[in-house]
Amino acid sequence: MQLATRKLLDRTFTGVGLLAVGLVAVALVAMLGPIITRGLGAFVFQETIEHRRFLLERFGRGDRSEIEAEWAEAQVAREAIHGRITQFESELRKLDWDQRQQYAGPLRDLKDVLHELLGPFPDEPKPVMPRDQYGPTRWDRAQVALEHVLFIEEYDYSDPTQMGKKVLIPRANQFIGTSLAPLFGELETNLDKMLLPRRTFYWRFLFDESVDAHLFGGIWPEVLGTLYLTLGAIVFAVPMGVISAIYLVEYARPESRLVGLLRTCISTLAGVPSIVFGLFGLAFFINTVHVSQSKSVLAGSLTLAILILPLIIRASEEAIRAVPATYKEAALSLGAGRWRTVVTVLLPAALPGILTGIVISMGRAAGETAPIIFTAAVSVGQPLALWEAFSQPSPALPWNIYNLCTEHEAVDAIRHVQYGMVFALLALVLMLNGLAIVLRARIAKRLRG
Amino acid sequence: MKTRIQSLLMLACGFALGFSGQTNAAKTTKIVIDGSTTVGPIAKAFAGYAMEKNPDVNITVSESGSGNGAKALINGACDIADMSRFMKPNEFEAAVAKGVLPVAHVVAIDGIAIIVHPSNPMAAITLDQIRDIYMGKATNWKQVSGPDKQIVVIGRDTSSGTYETFESLVMRGEKVVSGAENVGSNGQMRQRVQTTDGAIGYVGLGFIDRSVKPLKVDGIAPDMGEVATGRYPIARPLYMFTNGYPKLGTPLHAFVTLYLTPKGQEIIESIGFVPVTRY
Repeated sequence: MQLATRKLLDRTFTGVGLLAVGLVAVALVAMLGPIITRGLGAFVFQETIEHRRFLLERFGRGDRSEIEAEWAEAQVAREAIHGRITQFESELRKLDWDQRQQYAGPLRDLKDVLHELLGPFPDEPKPVMPRDQYGPTRWDRAQVALEHVLFIEEYDYSDPTQMGKKVLIPRANQFIGTSLAPLFGELETNLDKMLLPRRTFYWRFLFDESVDAHLFGGIWPEVLGTLYLTLGAIVFAVPMGVISAIYLVEYARPESRLVGLLRTCISTLAGVPSIVFGLFGLAFFINTVHVSQSKSVLAGSLTLAILILPLIIRASEEAIRAVPATYKEAALSLGAGRWRTVVTVLLPAALPGILTGIVISMGRAAGETAPIIFTAAVSVGQPLALWEAFSQPSPALPWNIYNLCTEHEAVDAIRHVQYGMVFALLALVLMLNGLAIVLRARIAKRLRG
Repeated sequence: MKTRIQSLLMLACGFALGFSGQTNAAKTTKIVIDGSTTVGPIAKAFAGYAMEKNPDVNITVSESGSGNGAKALINGACDIADMSRFMKPNEFEAAVAKGVLPVAHVVAIDGIAIIVHPSNPMAAITLDQIRDIYMGKATNWKQVSGPDKQIVVIGRDTSSGTYETFESLVMRGEKVVSGAENVGSNGQMRQRVQTTDGAIGYVGLGFIDRSVKPLKVDGIAPDMGEVATGRYPIARPLYMFTNGYPKLGTPLHAFVTLYLTPKGQEIIESIGFVPVTRY
């Protein structure tokens, strides 16, 4: 081959390589960017007075006198709105039946959307559900609610053979010439005085329990559930995995057919879809062995342990194999037994590799959804104490992200919680991976030094 | 090296203890609820209310479908099975064989609303037309006096109680067209319909919001009033099944009778379902 062609080929390959790396970087930024920015939106946002009230009344946090003063201020600003409604209602009573009927429907709708924007009116009894007790806790949700007050979303069906087109009709049109007409302008200009938005850093989002099915509060039960499941899986899988690896490398005869079969089985186990592990966990741990009466963190941990077992065995096997044969020979020549050699020479030397395997499988266990659907995860539940984890199920991040995206009855109102959960899960896995890198580096350095 | 490992272990134990320290004192009782995604919102709201009143109880709710709820109750894996249909004879048999005696508590009444994308000019539909669409006989909206638009049929998985009710009240023995796209929950159904112009789907009353348009069926709108009076044709009770009638005075008993109290009824109405009794 000519030199020129070789150079050309070389450059092409470098170019393709760079392109691939660039594409991966772009994909990473495109994926991580929204996750991080939107995820942070669950922590840093413009909170309204409703959020401060909620925190005070539910968790007893915040300066009571200050919040009460603010609440009074907001009430004063809202009085104009509530006053107009009351005034309009008393005016309606004086009108004749037909005119009253004309306004009855629009007024009911208006009150509904006003409830969504400002919470219950001061003269109404306190509702039972927290979602009805408070107005929007976030300014961005308040903007959406305001939009619903100001405009009616309708569709133009003038051509019945075609799909309709969306049109926004100002709600004020329904009340032209009445005392309610100025209400809409007032709302638009004074909404900030009624809700008093303020930028906040709600770091307790991570550590607060959720209230009213995630519409309020934080994600602590999910975070805690994930930590329990992950640690539990490690506790079960690591001893089994490392011991199996030692056996496979050091004790088993390499030419034995049984060992070959065993290796194939482990590889196969690594390729089994995770939902199969989930169903196996349900059928075996819960319905057959009865490790717990219902779904539980314990059953979930055991299922996840089986899932990550092949990963740990493989990583440990490789790590032990990578220890230079001279180490082992030196130990044996000094008269150490096989067991002593393994424990005092091979294992310490293989530790960095084993640890990396463990931490990576921790990341895997933390993020798996399918194995815990049937064995451990629930949509809502309280944070568990350690001993309760043996018998009780718990929410967990991966499953609840899915649950909030698909099954929750108010999906659009709690997008920020979903993003917050995704962010928390990602941060958790990244932290674990970071830990793996640091640990590995430190131990490797120690061994060399 | 040993000290390193020991300190790591200590750290792990410390973490574990720290986590549990974060939580409150031990919950003395647990109530595990599994089942229907339609009843899910009621169960979650009841759970929130009950745990606020009695912090000693930990109530967990999962939503895996009526059929899975029934299986969990039969296997003793849950205390309450939420179901949006009644138990089937074979489920009863399986339960009794395992010593489980299912007791039904009707907690609310629900109508199954036929929903379409809000841009769809259809306002009403008949049961026969719905059946035609789900059988695959009508594939374009213009065949049911609608716009010229392909119909995207969205159905539910077979573990769903909503599916079974729909099957018996609407399909009446006819088979749903194989091209139908099946989703796993009411929430997913709504999301599919709100993002697809030509879609048709069905959800429980509590899942209707601005983003989808419920159709009148045989001239009757699917709202609380029409469902309560029994005029709306696709209505069904929502159940919570327990193993035997719960012992009086237990948190479980308080939970499954919450729907009888005014607060419970307010919760059910607030979520969008119809209370069994209306005062």
